[in-house]
Amino acid sequence: MNRRNFLKQVTLWSAGILMVPPVFDIGPAALGAEKDAVPDIFAAKGKDISAMVRQLVDAMGGMEQFVNIKDTVVVKPNIGWDRNVDQGANTHPQVVTALAELALEAGAAKVLVFDRTCNEERRCYQNSGIKPALDAMDDRRIACEYIDDRKFVPVKIKNGRSLTEWSFYKDALTADCYINVPVAKHHSSSGLTLGLKNAMGVIGGRRGRLHMDLSARIADLNLVIQPDFTLVDATRILLRNGPSGGRLSDVKIMDTLIAGTDPVAVDAYATTLFGLEPADVQSTKEGFARGLGQMDLSRCRIQVFDT
Amino acid sequence: MAASGRDAAAGQGVDPSEGKTDPGRGRDSSAGKAGQGLDLSGSPGGAASGRGIKPRLKTIRTGVQLICLGLFLWLFRITDYTGSDTIPWAVNIWFRLDPLVGAGVTLATRTIIFLLWPCLVVIGVTLVFGRVFCGWVCPLGTLIDLSGRFIHPKKKLRVQLRFLKYMILIVVLLSAFFTVQLLGLFDPLSLLVRGMTFSIDPLFNFLVTGGFDWIYLNGPTWLSNQTEAVYDVFKSFLLPYKQSFFFLSVFSFFLLVAVFVLELAGRRFWCRNLCPLGAMLGLVSKISPFRRIPARACKDCDMCRTDCPMDAVNERGQIMTEECSLCMDCLAYCPKGITTFQFKGSLQKNLPDIGRRQVLAAGLLGVALPVVIRTDALTRVPAPDVIRPPGALAENDFLAACVRCGECMKVCINNALQPLFLEQGLAPMFTPVLVPRLGYCEFNCTLCTQVCPTRALQPLDKEQKHAFVLGTAWFDKNRCIPYAEQRPCIVCEEHCPVHDKAIKFHTITVVDDQNRVTALKQPYVRQDLCIGCGICENVCPVAGTAAVRVAAKGSMPDTFGSGTSYP
Repeated sequence: MNRRNFLKQVTLWSAGILMVPPVFDIGPAALGAEKDAVPDIFAAKGKDISAMVRQLVDAMGGMEQFVNIKDTVVVKPNIGWDRNVDQGANTHPQVVTALAELALEAGAAKVLVFDRTCNEERRCYQNSGIKPALDAMDDRRIACEYIDDRKFVPVKIKNGRSLTEWSFYKDALTADCYINVPVAKHHSSSGLTLGLKNAMGVIGGRRGRLHMDLSARIADLNLVIQPDFTLVDATRILLRNGPSGGRLSDVKIMDTLIAGTDPVAVDAYATTLFGLEPADVQSTKEGFARGLGQMDLSRCRIQVFDT
Repeated sequence: MAASGRDAAAGQGVDPSEGKTDPGRGRDSSAGKAGQGLDLSGSPGGAASGRGIKPRLKTIRTGVQLICLGLFLWLFRITDYTGSDTIPWAVNIWFRLDPLVGAGVTLATRTIIFLLWPCLVVIGVTLVFGRVFCGWVCPLGTLIDLSGRFIHPKKKLRVQLRFLKYMILIVVLLSAFFTVQLLGLFDPLSLLVRGMTFSIDPLFNFLVTGGFDWIYLNGPTWLSNQTEAVYDVFKSFLLPYKQSFFFLSVFSFFLLVAVFVLELAGRRFWCRNLCPLGAMLGLVSKISPFRRIPARACKDCDMCRTDCPMDAVNERGQIMTEECSLCMDCLAYCPKGITTFQFKGSLQKNLPDIGRRQVLAAGLLGVALPVVIRTDALTRVPAPDVIRPPGALAENDFLAACVRCGECMKVCINNALQPLFLEQGLAPMFTPVLVPRLGYCEFNCTLCTQVCPTRALQPLDKEQKHAFVLGTAWFDKNRCIPYAEQRPCIVCEEHCPVHDKAIKFHTITVVDDQNRVTALKQPYVRQDLCIGCGICENVCPVAGTAAVRVAAKGSMPDTFGSGTSYP
């Protein structure tokens, strides 16, 4: 072996090691973690969104319960569509800003807000009102950034039934605290889109391919993405023509926010706002079957606040 | 080479100021220079070393050129979505200043387009000062001048080709009169913006992001932290928002490169011999009273003729005002220092450098070409894939008004608009079409209609845009998953942006192979609601060709294969 050959070999071998994509291993302990036997569901009704968010977070034991000093916090709203606030296709910006504020008050070093959008991302971030609202807070610790395609990493979903591997957004996987902030709305494939379905916004790949067995795959995604708590925005809900909507006559004002650490229970309760039963939403059933949470509302403690 | 030439010449004492006191010596040294094949005139930016106001004019000209080029590049960069539904700047101003565009579009559409009136400013300036647009303003001219630092003419062409640009002008304008719009192929600004949009800008972004991405993905963290900070600066100020991909990237690249390769056959080859805009401004400038004095080369010195970058001095030593771009180079290199530019030129009698037969030939071609193009059978073939952008005029009017400037394709936020090649014959080459599988038309976006300089795309407000029909979607039941595989999907229906969704579905009951009875949603299109934005085709999860495809108004997609029954 001469020097040239040696250098070539070294380069090739080290290149091979460097190019292997990291595979995040989600331990079985995390996957099958036992949930509260009787989960809490908190709902707040009112017009002052920031106050409602505060009340709900306080009810869950305060943000300090979830956020430690110097933590990186992900607040994951639904910013999927190029629609305005009134059209109800995206999470209300005030919910997002209120959560970001609370996280910073609890000592978070960084608050990341992102979503993989369906329409063009700049238009979605802008017209949903979420980016302008966060920019107006003018805090360097808040990053409302577009999805960076380089950050998708393949993840093996060990207990997945319909999906065993998919790529996930690295920031969502490595966050110290992950707060799921979906908007409650009609969805033609899955019935409703709530907390569990919101995980679709942190995955890569061609998402349309999940639709052949959508509910089961949503539940499988939630084996990987396990939020510290879910806060459903039901200030206004889209009753028809979801998930994209667009028509104001399809939107109903509910002035409600729902929060809880059990993602299935929160979804189950949110379903009732639409006049449906928890079992009418397939992904809730699948989530329950995976042991992600409780869907029987009679086995949940429900507290409703009037703010 | 230019630099070394300057040095060598300086060594011989060819200093303009020195030449002033000793014309004889100037002549000697210029002869010596010619013998060595050196190029004293140098390139722009290589400001003359001389004193006094005259050489400084050349420096000022270079400065103006760079400012105009900077303005052009800045407007090019901000031809994009910037967080507002309206483009805040007149990013298309270059085309609206272009009198060739003004003349061609007015002839072809037979309408007066208010948007194009700024071109009268350029005409006015040319009437007073001559072809200053070419020498001081044109961004392609400036880039050609800058390329002179790297590309040096091998040998001056023996034959004079000045007449070619007049011929091109005649053909282009006559064709426009017969409503076949060819000016986009030759207009320098169209050529430049297209080349940059389709190839240079994507290439630049690809190389830069490719480098940063590689370090980000493979480099150590301490290094990538540094490079990502630099990358952020690049992204904020220099790079386009995202990587774009265009049909004809290679072709457009070589068209643009060819302009620079031609520099090997003489400086400003394109401007002197081919540019129809230059020809047009040249003809206008014949009336201009602002002239170079003296109007002919001195008897004892040949430098005007040999060193003029525009080759504006003919064989008899006369300055041809229609060729002069007022670059002011001759102020710097004149060994006697006697040249000035003044408002006292009398009307020149000599005609532009084009023969009567050449005019006749161009005229005949200008009449024949539109007819030949029109009788191409390709224009008669149905074109379901030619889906025009929102706001587009009826096809023939659109083809007459569109100058192939590429602005709409540059601004399209989903990289959905792509140039046609020869699919429909020669005339529609480089005109924009929507290619939904690559990108769909964003429901609330009207940017392309805002940047179109000629109103080939009519401006639309949001409501008009929502109702503007680009085409219609069709399902191929042989490929569509709920039909072909009896499995759920309807991703298309979810994404359909029309407020009463144009994609509907029937819910049917199916029994699967395990004897389970399940509900299945099978989509169909309501033709009266569909606007053809193409998001359904774009997101269709079927691999390869989508199972739902958009076809132009009044047609059906043609690549579904045989045996397909349409709903």
